[in-house]
Amino acid sequence: MPEDRTVYKSTGMNAFGIGANVAEVDVSGDKIVRVRPMRYDKKYPIEQLKPWTIKARGSEFHATLKALLPPYAYAYKKRVYSDHRILHPYKRVDWDPQGDRHPENRGKSKYVQITWDEAAQTIADEIMRVKETYGLPSILIQGDGHGETKVVHASHGCATRLMNLLGDDWTYQARQPDSWEGWYWGAKHMWGQDPLGQFDMGNLLLDIAENSDMLLFMGCDMETTPWGWQGQIPSQYCFWLTEIGVKQVYICPDVNYGAAVHADKWIPVYPNTDAALMAAVAYVWMTEELYDRDYVDTHSVGFDWFEYYILGKEDGQPKTPEWASPICGVPSRQIKALAHQWAKQRTSVAHGNGGSFIRSTYSHEPARFEVALMTMMGLGKPGRNVVKFIEWYMYGLPSQQPAPCYSSNMTVGAAYRGWDFVQTKSSITKTLVPEAILGNYDDDHPLTWQGYTVAGWPREDQFNTYRYPIEGAQGIHMIWTDTPCWTTCWNGGNKMIEALSSERLECVVAQQPWMENDCLFADILLPINTKYEEEDIGQDNGAAPFGLIYHEEQAVPARGESKSDWEAVGEVARKLGLYDAYVEGKDVQAWIKTGFEGAEKPEDVPYEDFLEKGYYIAPTRDDWEELPRGFELFCNDPEGHPLSTPTGLVEFYATGLAEHFPDDDERPPVPHYIPFGKRHQESLQCDRAKDYPYLLVSNHPRWRIHANMDDISWLREIPTCKVTGPDGYKYEPLWINPADAKGLGLESGDIAKLYNDRGWVLGGVIVTERIRPGVVYQDHGAQLDPIEPGVSDRGGANNLIAPTKTTSQNAPGEVTSGFLVGVEKVDVFLLAEQYPEAFGRPYDPHNGVKMHNWIQEECE
Amino acid sequence: MKAFVVDLGKCNGCYACQLACKDETVGNEWPPYSKPQPDTGQFWLKMFEKTHGQVPKVRVEYRPQLCRHCGNAPCMDAAPDAVYRREDGLVIIDPAKAAGHSELVDACPYGAIYWNDDLGLPQKCTGCAHLVDAGALPHCVDACATGALQFGEEEDLADLVAQATDEYDVEGTASRVHYLNPFGLFVSGEVWSKEDDLIIEGAQVTLRDSEGSARSAETDGFGDFWFKHLKPGRYVLSIEAEGFAGVGERAIDLKESLNLGDFPLDKR
Repeated sequence: MPEDRTVYKSTGMNAFGIGANVAEVDVSGDKIVRVRPMRYDKKYPIEQLKPWTIKARGSEFHATLKALLPPYAYAYKKRVYSDHRILHPYKRVDWDPQGDRHPENRGKSKYVQITWDEAAQTIADEIMRVKETYGLPSILIQGDGHGETKVVHASHGCATRLMNLLGDDWTYQARQPDSWEGWYWGAKHMWGQDPLGQFDMGNLLLDIAENSDMLLFMGCDMETTPWGWQGQIPSQYCFWLTEIGVKQVYICPDVNYGAAVHADKWIPVYPNTDAALMAAVAYVWMTEELYDRDYVDTHSVGFDWFEYYILGKEDGQPKTPEWASPICGVPSRQIKALAHQWAKQRTSVAHGNGGSFIRSTYSHEPARFEVALMTMMGLGKPGRNVVKFIEWYMYGLPSQQPAPCYSSNMTVGAAYRGWDFVQTKSSITKTLVPEAILGNYDDDHPLTWQGYTVAGWPREDQFNTYRYPIEGAQGIHMIWTDTPCWTTCWNGGNKMIEALSSERLECVVAQQPWMENDCLFADILLPINTKYEEEDIGQDNGAAPFGLIYHEEQAVPARGESKSDWEAVGEVARKLGLYDAYVEGKDVQAWIKTGFEGAEKPEDVPYEDFLEKGYYIAPTRDDWEELPRGFELFCNDPEGHPLSTPTGLVEFYATGLAEHFPDDDERPPVPHYIPFGKRHQESLQCDRAKDYPYLLVSNHPRWRIHANMDDISWLREIPTCKVTGPDGYKYEPLWINPADAKGLGLESGDIAKLYNDRGWVLGGVIVTERIRPGVVYQDHGAQLDPIEPGVSDRGGANNLIAPTKTTSQNAPGEVTSGFLVGVEKVDVFLLAEQYPEAFGRPYDPHNGVKMHNWIQEECE
Repeated sequence: MKAFVVDLGKCNGCYACQLACKDETVGNEWPPYSKPQPDTGQFWLKMFEKTHGQVPKVRVEYRPQLCRHCGNAPCMDAAPDAVYRREDGLVIIDPAKAAGHSELVDACPYGAIYWNDDLGLPQKCTGCAHLVDAGALPHCVDACATGALQFGEEEDLADLVAQATDEYDVEGTASRVHYLNPFGLFVSGEVWSKEDDLIIEGAQVTLRDSEGSARSAETDGFGDFWFKHLKPGRYVLSIEAEGFAGVGERAIDLKESLNLGDFPLDKR
């Protein structure tokens, strides 16, 4: 069975048309044979690519000439052929748009197959009915998330293009920066850094190699989180750092997969107590005069306010290592050692987004402490910067590219058919969607919050108050989602399940390749195909060491009646008489050509040449070594290169927060360690910890990208991916330290319940030294398998029981890690007696809950 | 002759090799070398994974395991008609001749041969002979992102092969899969001053094995010391730090990697 064709496919999972990890996919007839790493030099001579070399400390690190694909890429064809594929349009059996809609049965009743014609007509009719009855703002479009990275066939937001043709006040689900909340809501008010709020990290692979003695990984798992974005370049780089003597210190409650192989030192901190740890580091520096006072004087404002807090003059409690030690679980001598090492050695900080550091309650505080400490050490001086091993070249900014820069980023955005990143008139921040649906909000009593909240919106926007519904409008009555994983990826999914069953929702449409997660609550399901079934164009963002655009040929025919997201929305557009306007007169090939032509290439490249070769590469910039490193420009000349804060300097006292939220004690102008407060009681320090005595760390998953890929049999047989229970069900692993396991009577292979006042989920116990005592670990995003919908889940989707409340009073971010839970051993056979329907659901341990469980009749 | 070199010091435990093996062989038939591998439960390349140590000194060991393509292959002795060695050294279970030879599963001392019940065939890694014939690399090697897996002519890899350990080899099999940088076991701990509540940097820690040969380490800026890549056995550890009463002669029976915990020293 030799392959007869090879096509290019991006295997990245950024999902916004920004690809990565390009593979060569060998195809034989209609079958995917294998996935191989792309060879960048296959069609272009090396001289044209100009591969870079980073030289430091007598050693060299070379640009890779083959794509360093993440492991899941080699298993991804299973996703194409998955038994969970939705292959036909379906309608919930007891949802009758002409009669009783039975919203209370969402998640319970099954589906019947309908034709595309009926599905598209029903959706079109519902849109017009809701528009005429309530107005366009009553239609919510959920078009964001982490599906496949596609451009013309964009996984997310195609429906927004159709809605724009109907009016300008439909409601958009505004997705906050879910993996870097703290920097967005906190650090932005201290160092500006629009649009992201994160650090400048230009050229830092070079700077760290040359100048850093130590790299602090704050909750960062550079062996896992970057996979869908940067592939495995970070892994190669960190092995090289070890070789050249850069010490790697991991500060996190778990031995994450980066720490497992790269850590020279692990400091097991309690989740979301990093702010206390860092306050104590600041205390040591202040009292021992170890910080860069000149830099602080010339580069910041309000340091005296910070000193006032740290030294205990504000609240009578100096933030000593002895104070911090019981809070963060790190011996005081080790806190002092960290402070001394950090001061003595040129130290940079590394992130991978997510992790234990930045997605918990009041996450703006650890982010601001980090800015404070880096400023005290001379932010931007050689070897003293902040880097992340994910989302390189974000927004096409060279300041976001830590690897050597290439001559052009060549964006193919002109072909992108997803959401257009233009602020909509009506929106709800994603964290508040269940509240919006369930609360009694109307024109006179609207739900309000601060900021449009979409990642990339400017700092000042956080001072604007938004409302739902917008003036003169009514609440949501219809949802159309291409992102059916709210329950498994956002904050307090059980409340979303409750919301999805609300009678206020008259119609819920989900379009998705697989029957999973929020799909179970839809009234209409549209079958979507995977990228392997589509033709597209793409760009690689920083996973390749060069600028790279590629033509993704169709690998295999569409399965069943599936269509791409763009085509599926097109079917509805046809029924509304808007098809030509929706596709803007172009077919797929014409859009691909538009994307190619819109990419700013360093030379004139004939389109035919691009199609023939399958890709085009922009070489390394000749002057890449001269480009600024991290905060170098601000460091050297703060007046000439000011930050985007009101004062242009680092604001230890955030003037914007002081002006707009003077009374916010959950995010005061000066960074504070806030264990708990009015909104959240999720700390071991508060009374609630008596009932729920463990902190849960919920990282971005090792063997999924968010909620994607939980059905791949080859991943599910990896020992850290699933734990097989005594009933044969593969449960989501729950790590627990031997000391805690003993007290709870738990052994590896047992099944335990993770619970709090928001519900409970199950997990398969792994007793391990990879997690510190007092903390349990379970990845997020396991496939939903409700026991009692809105209450409990067998799959272990722990976002269901994450706090429903947002980051803090004026920061509507999500809280999805570092919250309190109780842990208790369960007998799955007793549970099966108690919940016969849920536990009797047809199930295949290799893939999960069977698709036909949800379907009234077998169709294929 | 072809050989594999596995540099364990470069393995990040991503399992891409195990997954790539499945990508290549599950649902794909590569005559004359192999019939498809079952979807789950069998691993022509299997990652070994083990957690070492105790909080807060914990590391994870990974080791990709595959057919050793032995120069002296027990499977060939067990079923000479069904198993053969190619000219390039790759050992192949001939799917056309091996039906029913379930004894091959036990014949392999490395546990690299699986019984495919559906096909009634013993099966294992072929070194992706069909790819090698086409001038390509075995799929697992191609998929390896860190360079931990290498494949090539034995003479081209001679420098690396010379450094290989025989720790995982069964004597007499003349394995053609060569492992570098075995994880071994570690002993670790932390030294600090009780009176100052400060770690002690530069303390001299000595570890003597039962034959009397000694290794020494200095505590680092966190007061930590590490002895890595140790063999199991009896050791004696001692600590000296200037100005402090040290720790004399602590016996260790090393069976698994060990965090000895922290050593609070008194000032002299």
